[in-house]
Amino acid sequence: MTSTGPQPLDPQTLPDHDNLPDNPYAYCVRLTGPLFVQTGRMIAYYPAGGGTIRFEPLTVTSLTSMVASHFSSPLYSRDWVVATGQGHVLLGDRGYDINSYDLDDGNLTVRAANLLAFDAGLELKESIIPGFLTLIGTGKFLASSSGPVIFVEPPVRVDPEALVGWADCPAPSQHFDAGWMGHFLGAARGALFGTRSGEERQYDFTGAGTVLLQSSERALEDPHVLRRLEGEVDQLGDGQLRHLAGVIQSRLAQNQQ
Amino acid sequence: MGFTKVTSKVVLAEVRPGAEVLARRGAMLATTGRVAFSPVAGGPGGGAYGGGIASALARGMQGEAVPLMVAEGTGTVHYGFRGHHVTVIDLDGSAPLSVEADRLLAHDASMSSSVVFLGQQGGLRGAVRGAVTGQGLFTTQLSGRGSVAVLSHGGTFALRVDGSRQVVVDPQAYVAHVGNLRLDVATALSWRDAVGRGSGEGVQLKVSGEGTVYVQASEEKL
Repeated sequence: MTSTGPQPLDPQTLPDHDNLPDNPYAYCVRLTGPLFVQTGRMIAYYPAGGGTIRFEPLTVTSLTSMVASHFSSPLYSRDWVVATGQGHVLLGDRGYDINSYDLDDGNLTVRAANLLAFDAGLELKESIIPGFLTLIGTGKFLASSSGPVIFVEPPVRVDPEALVGWADCPAPSQHFDAGWMGHFLGAARGALFGTRSGEERQYDFTGAGTVLLQSSERALEDPHVLRRLEGEVDQLGDGQLRHLAGVIQSRLAQNQQ
Repeated sequence: MGFTKVTSKVVLAEVRPGAEVLARRGAMLATTGRVAFSPVAGGPGGGAYGGGIASALARGMQGEAVPLMVAEGTGTVHYGFRGHHVTVIDLDGSAPLSVEADRLLAHDASMSSSVVFLGQQGGLRGAVRGAVTGQGLFTTQLSGRGSVAVLSHGGTFALRVDGSRQVVVDPQAYVAHVGNLRLDVATALSWRDAVGRGSGEGVQLKVSGEGTVYVQASEEKL
């Protein structure tokens, strides 16, 4: 070889379904059946035996009926592709840790931005919590996390940014801290602005199951939350729309100060 | 000679007379012994090191200019940059390393560097590749014997390419390559799809030939 450095990998040395050696940020999948992949997460691939691997948007794939039965989320349908063919596919996600999870006739809800890929044994649906997706069935999926994942059992109260997902237990309820509630109950709503600590809103988990946590990350602006809100605006009347416009105006004014 | 890894994000270089180290300005973390730093004009290999004025001019004009400094004297230097992962690649002199200038953390000053017009590697197609990958139309080539420290987001791994297997790489994840490789832009979708969907899997780099391509485990640019 012409150089030393990281030991070069090739299809003979790449794992079939594991992280790359000494690299928790990259994951290698040997493709045998269709795999749903979030766009932008594929970093490289070796086609096997002179064939090709195709990455097709959900809308133009030839597997329309398979997609329709396994991907039930119009909000996210433009962010996913189906990979088909034979070979090794390498996935990465913003330098986050990547882990593989097995689901055996179960259900698991995961933050949409952290879900990289899932196989066709699983069905994807939108969670009732904005920004989260639920996987149902039997199969493997890949998820990323900022730092290694910590597993905890309910009852537990978690910061929304630290939440990666949850399995088996009921969807969380929202918990607001006492100081924040005091503002509401004291009718001092105007004093609320500018007093947020960032910890006033938490998710409360109860029941049997597992909650997946990561070291907290900066909240990203999730475009899907906006799209979801836009969809709900359709249900409002004229008076409510005018009120909403007023709320948005005052919020913008607050942010400019 | 060469760099020693301290952590995944920091390397240690030993500096001696005759074994100076060129590094990106602002990448020095700590130093021991008697080491002096001085700026190098015009990017990699500028001034007394390699390239010369014409090369330096080309660099400055084409955006392949990353301000460098040279470490001289006797001692050790810790290098790191903005928490990016560092990969050390040792070259035995038989083939040059092609890398984007802004991914270059440090290298032995004895190596010669040049700026290569991507159009020279495969004509118009090469130029298109540069524009598509965001690398610009120029890339830096380091040749000779020595050690190079390369920055990446999310750790770098190496993929082997030879006649029997080619590999396809996401342009955003491409870091560097060594050897006699040919990089072609392949579009899996139509151009309109590729543009409209931003950084989807629409545009891919097909790597063939004989050599090693270095890829980072992230789709984020530095």
